Amino acid sequence: MSHPPAPTIVRHRRSLPLIWVVPLVAFLVGGWLIARSYRERGPEITIRFQNGAGIEEGKTILEHKGVAVGTVENVQLDEKHDSVLVKVRLVKNAAYLARADSEFWLVRPEIGFSGIKGLDTLFTGARLKVRPGTGGQPATEFTALRRAPLLETSGRGRSFVLRADRLGALNSGAPVFFREIKVGFIEAHRLTPDADGVLVRIRIRTPYDQLVHADTKFWNSGGVSVKVGLLGAELRSNSLESLVTGGISFATPSASNSAPVTDDTEFLIADEADKEWLKWKPKIPIQESVEDWETTPEAEPSR
Amino acid sequence: MDRTLHCHACTLALPEAAPAYEATPCPRCGTPLRRRQPHAVERSAAFALAGLFMLVPANVLPVVSTILMGQARTDTIFSSALALYRDGLWGIALIVFTASILVPLLKLVSLGCLLHAVRTRSARRSRGLTKLYAFVKFIGRWSMLDVFLVAFLTGAVQFGSLATVRPEPGVIAFAAAVVLTVFATESFDPRLLWDANIDLAHDRAITP
Repeated sequence: MSHPPAPTIVRHRRSLPLIWVVPLVAFLVGGWLIARSYRERGPEITIRFQNGAGIEEGKTILEHKGVAVGTVENVQLDEKHDSVLVKVRLVKNAAYLARADSEFWLVRPEIGFSGIKGLDTLFTGARLKVRPGTGGQPATEFTALRRAPLLETSGRGRSFVLRADRLGALNSGAPVFFREIKVGFIEAHRLTPDADGVLVRIRIRTPYDQLVHADTKFWNSGGVSVKVGLLGAELRSNSLESLVTGGISFATPSASNSAPVTDDTEFLIADEADKEWLKWKPKIPIQESVEDWETTPEAEPSR
Repeated sequence: MDRTLHCHACTLALPEAAPAYEATPCPRCGTPLRRRQPHAVERSAAFALAGLFMLVPANVLPVVSTILMGQARTDTIFSSALALYRDGLWGIALIVFTASILVPLLKLVSLGCLLHAVRTRSARRSRGLTKLYAFVKFIGRWSMLDVFLVAFLTGAVQFGSLATVRPEPGVIAFAAAVVLTVFATESFDPRLLWDANIDLAHDRAITP
């Protein structure tokens, strides 16, 4: 376009440099916004699940101690189509969860005799949970546990192996009582190597594990025991929970002087308590802190 | 050809004896007389460029996060339109997509066309370009739909874990992008579109 400029036309002045500060600021702010959201992203990990039911992209969160520490970004079948690969984007300050010995599992609502678990997932949908590893190598690939580890809430404690003729109602998760206080639970069970009995592994929370001595007696306290005699009827049950799920109680002799048990000690589970056992009152020092008071739900301060 | 110069404030018409009048106060109201808005092209281009820069985080970053019946989700503009479409609300999805993605982009493209036409002193299609400018100016006020929606929902929907809506950084970038494109539209002077035609007419008038 080469018209001879008419004399009356006012030419535009030189450009005003100040106005170009606006796009410069916009560029910097925009870049900063994007960079910030990238910096807040933690590493991406891949978890292999046997079954991906309930896991949704962008919705399902990974939770640790009740706090969201990651979001599912992608769900797909693996190459062999026999498991599900779930990609989870961790938040930045949860990057330490990406360790080889971290364990992941899926929480679904579970209503069993030993209680109702994950009821809130009825509303929120499934949810992933993690038990952080203590010091493994950094890792990005994990295989999910098939079910929540039983030790989730009580990491500390000690396991003992008991022997019984038959399993009865001693399922995993059932409680273990001392003086009708729940001090542990049944971890696992299996047949003995030669199938002549059942081995039940229990876990007693610290500090109650010190109550178990070599001469401690265990008995099956599940169900109700009803005795009808000439002088009336006697009905005995530990708690409603053990009424349904079964449970184990134990007592230690008053004059127990035996040293605390070694790992390979095997105890027998009696079918019912000897009258004598119930009278035992051993004095075993356990350091219980004030927080260990068992409270009923009503007694807890309202939140 | 008789050409006149109009005061921007009181529209007093003066015979155009520019550059004599340029930047002198209007004899009637005192406003500095301008033949064209000064630096219109530069200002418009700068604001448009700034708007373009803000449009990137506006579309990449999430604009809103919602918790509905315990289900939390975070959405960018596009993912919210996609979610609406998947829920079968394709009408609303189309509105969101048009108002929040298509219109801002079309506005910037249109402004680019207008600025290009002025820059190259193109005398063609001036009428169409003027109509385009009018349309860009008209549509500008409707682009804040998303921002209003997020602002309204944030205020109205606060029911704890049942339903909560929270704004995310993207919505600020989006609002900034809309405001900047409005500035770009407003600082553009549509009379510039006709200058090339006037030159042509002028040339014809003086060269028989």
